[in-house]
Amino acid sequence: MNAPEPAPMAGLTPEAAALVETYFSRVHGALLVAAAGECEETVEDLRAHVLEELQGSAGTAADVTRVLSELGPPEALAAECVDATMGGRPVALEPAEDHSKLHGRVFGVPYELRPPTAARVVALWWNPLDPHVFVPTMFGLGWTVNFGSIAVRLGIVRPDDEDVPFAAVPKRYVAIALVLPVLVAGFLGTLIAVYQAALPAQVVNHWGITGAPDQFGSKESALFFPVVMTLMGLALIGVTWIRTRTPLLRVGAGALTTWLGAISVADYAQRVATAHGATGAWILLPGIALSFLLTFGLLVTLSRIGHAAEVRRDLDKGSKKGRV
Amino acid sequence: MHATRHEAPEEHTMGSDTDSRLSQFRKGVVELAILALLHRGEAYGGEIVERLAGHPGLAISAGTVYPLLSRLKKSGLIDSVWRESPVGPPRKYYRLSVAGDIEFAAMARAWDGVTGAMDELLGTGVSR
Repeated sequence: MNAPEPAPMAGLTPEAAALVETYFSRVHGALLVAAAGECEETVEDLRAHVLEELQGSAGTAADVTRVLSELGPPEALAAECVDATMGGRPVALEPAEDHSKLHGRVFGVPYELRPPTAARVVALWWNPLDPHVFVPTMFGLGWTVNFGSIAVRLGIVRPDDEDVPFAAVPKRYVAIALVLPVLVAGFLGTLIAVYQAALPAQVVNHWGITGAPDQFGSKESALFFPVVMTLMGLALIGVTWIRTRTPLLRVGAGALTTWLGAISVADYAQRVATAHGATGAWILLPGIALSFLLTFGLLVTLSRIGHAAEVRRDLDKGSKKGRV
Repeated sequence: MHATRHEAPEEHTMGSDTDSRLSQFRKGVVELAILALLHRGEAYGGEIVERLAGHPGLAISAGTVYPLLSRLKKSGLIDSVWRESPVGPPRKYYRLSVAGDIEFAAMARAWDGVTGAMDELLGTGVSR
């Protein structure tokens, strides 16, 4: 994109012209890459306005300083312009990686290529403040569900039942978010131990839209998806529990791992069933539904526990005050 | 007051650009509306939603109010406390903090300035 031609600086002393030049190059420097194109014109308009103001003056450095001081520091001016151009979106406050192309929308469909984090899991899956049921997916293309909004619609929770999700959940209950996914992973391990050896040499790897098998592979390939998914989840739990004690993050990691584990169990069970002559995806589809239900159950239960703890804290405080 | 009530239905015939401009514009106002409401006394979430919904010109829903309450609380302008309710489960009551009181006074003054200036600019000649 070609920048608009800067307005001429007739009638200014070289020193004054240099001041104007320095000021506006600082504004340009402070503009975010994302908004630079859209702000360019506004900044050039401001520059023309400054030069017009200077027309009636002697055009000295002192005049320039006086006029420019009305605009404020160049960085603040740039921030204001970005804010106005980007419709008040807090672009400047987002971390640098958010300016990357790793997430956004294609033809209106959201995509996310950054690996999921425990914080993002909670922000998307458990946000009772947001009335939207469908929110951008945490990884890949499309949408995911905001279990928090569903719980509000079902009347199970109120949007403000917790100040910060899971913050008040006592430690011993946060452990549920560790135990449940480990149990699910253990269940998958048991299934593999019992059925893997007896699988035929060739197994179904993929089912078409109609539910008919359309891709086959070796029996070891049946392990790939469930084992990789479950191990990735367990790794997220491990890293999260070692690095932080924040309940929100621990619950986020636990919820994602529970879901991945349950999906993996459904996937593996379906392969085993198909190998034993079952037709159709009568384990996989209910299994996927169950994995969402299990995750929903985990989040709702911990949120109710957190809510109860928050209420108890305030009511206890109130009754103590009452006694004094 | 009467004129404001007539404006709301007209929005449906406006373009989406106008809609998004209006919603931008309202977001700032709703924050002040919540502070003003709590300045009169503490209230719980459902009550705040209901009382603000009584002003159709503001076009406020629960989806707007709760995120704002959460943000105002995080920025320290309001506090909350759980209290027993005479009917049903305990309720979370919100009230202005000391910082919120100061902020509300400043915002209310600024609002007076803005409305004064806008009344002059829009004037009686502009059809409203």
